[in-house]
Amino acid sequence: MQTPIPLAHMPPGARGRVSRITRDLTGRADRLAALGVTPGASITVLQTFPGIVFECDQTEIAVERAVARAILIDRA
Amino acid sequence: MPCPMIPDATISSRRAPLLRLRSHPLRIALVGNPNVGKSVVFGRLTGRYATVSNYPGTTVTMTTGRALIGAEVCDVIDTPGMNTLEGALSEDERITKRLLATGGAELIVQVADARNLRRALMLTSQLADTRLPMILVLNMVDEADARGITIDTTGLSEHLGIPVIEAVAPDGRGIAELRDALTSATRVLGNRSASVSHVDWASSTAAKFRRMNVVSASRVREAINRAVREPLTGLPILALVLYATYLFVGVFGAQTLVGALEEGVFDGFINPAATIVAGYIPVPLIRDFLVGNYGLITMGLTYAMAIVLPVVTTFFLMFGFLEDSGYIPRLAIFSDRLFRSMGLNGKAVLPMVLGLGCDTMATMTTRILGTPKERLIAITLLALGVPCSAQLATIMGILGGISLWALVLLFGVVLSQMVVVGFLAARALPGDRSDFILELPPIRLPRMGNLATKTALRVRWYLGEAVPLFLVGTALLFVLDRIGALDLLTSATRPLVTGALGLPSESAGVFVMGFLRRDYGAAGLFKMAHDGSLTAVQSVIALTVMTLFVPCVANLLMIVRERGVRTGMAILAAVTVIAIGTGAVLNFALTMLRITF
Repeated sequence: MQTPIPLAHMPPGARGRVSRITRDLTGRADRLAALGVTPGASITVLQTFPGIVFECDQTEIAVERAVARAILIDRA
Repeated sequence: MPCPMIPDATISSRRAPLLRLRSHPLRIALVGNPNVGKSVVFGRLTGRYATVSNYPGTTVTMTTGRALIGAEVCDVIDTPGMNTLEGALSEDERITKRLLATGGAELIVQVADARNLRRALMLTSQLADTRLPMILVLNMVDEADARGITIDTTGLSEHLGIPVIEAVAPDGRGIAELRDALTSATRVLGNRSASVSHVDWASSTAAKFRRMNVVSASRVREAINRAVREPLTGLPILALVLYATYLFVGVFGAQTLVGALEEGVFDGFINPAATIVAGYIPVPLIRDFLVGNYGLITMGLTYAMAIVLPVVTTFFLMFGFLEDSGYIPRLAIFSDRLFRSMGLNGKAVLPMVLGLGCDTMATMTTRILGTPKERLIAITLLALGVPCSAQLATIMGILGGISLWALVLLFGVVLSQMVVVGFLAARALPGDRSDFILELPPIRLPRMGNLATKTALRVRWYLGEAVPLFLVGTALLFVLDRIGALDLLTSATRPLVTGALGLPSESAGVFVMGFLRRDYGAAGLFKMAHDGSLTAVQSVIALTVMTLFVPCVANLLMIVRERGVRTGMAILAAVTVIAIGTGAVLNFALTMLRITF
C-alpha cells in the first residue's frame, strides 16, 4: 500500500479514503470528526485554490491549506 | 400563540391513557447537525416561524414554542445546530449542550439530513448517552432519493429501538408521523457498547442500513455550484450579484419606490393634508410637534415609511434569496485569506454579510466563531464598518444619484479601515484564531413561500422596532431643538463638523439621530442631500463618517450583553475616534486633490 499523502497535495478530482488526521492542540481533529471526516471516510477533492474544497460522504467542506495538510489520505 | 386548541374532553375520551400528570409541560428539544431543517420542523410542530435559511448557523439562540401532541400541550425547543457534544465546542453548540445537561428537555427529537446518515448517527450515539427518550427524523429524504441514497428506516428503527421517521419537512411530509411517534419515544437500546467509539458505531450502523447508489447531483446544480466556487468564474459572479443588488435595492428601491412614496404620497398628499388639518390646532407648539421641521408626521413618519421602508423591503427580498440559495457561505472560500490577516477565518464572512441585514442580529451570530478573540474582532468590525440594510440602501440612494465612483470610494475607504483595524486588533489582542473548517450547504432554488414569509416577518420587525424609535427620535430632536440644546450641540461641534469634516453645521443633528438608529441618521442625510444642502463631496464624507460611526443603541446594547460593559465602551470609543479621524483625512485629501464627483 502507498504511504498516505496530505489532502493539500491532491489535485482536483482525486479520490481517496482518510487514513488519519494529525492531531494538534486546537481540537482540529475533533471538529473535522464532527463533520464526518474520520479515518475510513471516502473523500473527493473538488477544488484546491484559493482554499481546499472536498466532498466527504454527502457533505461539501471548505478548509484552509494548513488544515488540509493535517488530513492524510490513502489514494484510491 | 397560534397553537390549535382542541377542547380537552374530546381528546381525553379518545386517548385517555396518554394524559399524564406533570408539573410543567413536557419539554421536547429539537437537536441535530447544523442546516438539517430543525427550524422547519419546529415551524411545522408549533405553527411558529423561526427564521429558516440555507446555511449553518441561522439559529444561534433557543426558540420555544407550544405544540399540541396527542392530548398534551408540549413545549418545543428549537436549538442551534451542533455537530458534537464532546470536544471543542463553539458558543452556539454549548447552548444546546447546556440545555441537555441541565435537564432542560425530557425528550429529544434528533433531526437529521438523510443524505448524511453516518454523521447523524455519530450525534445519535452521543445523544443516547444522555439516556433521554429519543426520536430520529430523517429529513430531506427527497434530496437523498435524488442522489440515490435509500435508508432502511424500519431496520434502523428496530436496531436503535426508537422511532425513525422519514420526512420532507417543508412539504409537511412525516410531520403527522412525528406527532404520533412523540407519544411513544423511548431510550436508544441498540447503542454501542462502551468499547466501541462513536465514530465506529456510526460508520458500521450507517453501512448496515444505508444503500448508496450514488447518482451525481443534477447537472445544472453541479455546474452552478462549481461556477460560484471557482475564483475564475466566482469573482465575476460576485461582482454581478453585487451589481444586481445595487440595481434592485439602490435603483429600484431607493430611487424608484422612494421617489414614488416620498414625492407622490408623502410630499404630494399626506404632509400637505396633515399640515392643513394641523392648522386647526390652536396651540402652535403641538402644531409644530406634528408637522414642523422636526414634526412627527413630516419628519418621523416620512423618514420611516417613505425613505427607509421601500429600501429595507427590497433589500430583505434580495438578501433572503441569497440566504436560501446557499450562496453566502461559498464567499468564505474567497475571503478566507483576507479574514486570516485580520485574526479571523473565512467563516467570519457569515456574520459580516448578515450585518448588512442588521448589525444587532449579526453581533449575536458571531457565536458561530470559534474563539473569544475572533468574536471580539468580528463584533468590533461589525460596529465599525458594516452598514446595516437601511443604511446601505440610503447610501446607495444618495451616492447612486451622484456617481458610481463616489460609491466605490466610500466602500473602498470603509473596507480598508476595517482591514487596518482588523489587522491591528489581530496583533494587539491575546488569543488565537481557529482553523477555517466550514460546511457548505447545498445550492438550492429558494422556496418562494419561505422567502415571502421571511421578508414579511423582517419588514414587520422593522415596522415594529424601527418606526417607534423613529418617532421617539423625532420627538427627542423636537425637544432638543425647542430648549435650544440642538443649537448648543451644533455650535459646540462646529469646529469638528464644519472645520475638520467640512460639513454644514446642521449635520450635527443628523449624527445624533444616527446614534439612535443608524438608518435614521442615514435617512436624515438622504433628506439633506435631496434638499441640496450637501454637495457631492460632502455627501461622501458625511456618509463615510456615518458608516464608520458609533453603532446604534440596539447594537451597543447587544455588544454589552454579549461581551460586557467594558468591551462595549472600548469599542464605542475606538469607533468614534476612527470615524471622525477618517472623515477628517478624507475631507483633507478630497479638498487638496480638488476632487469633485
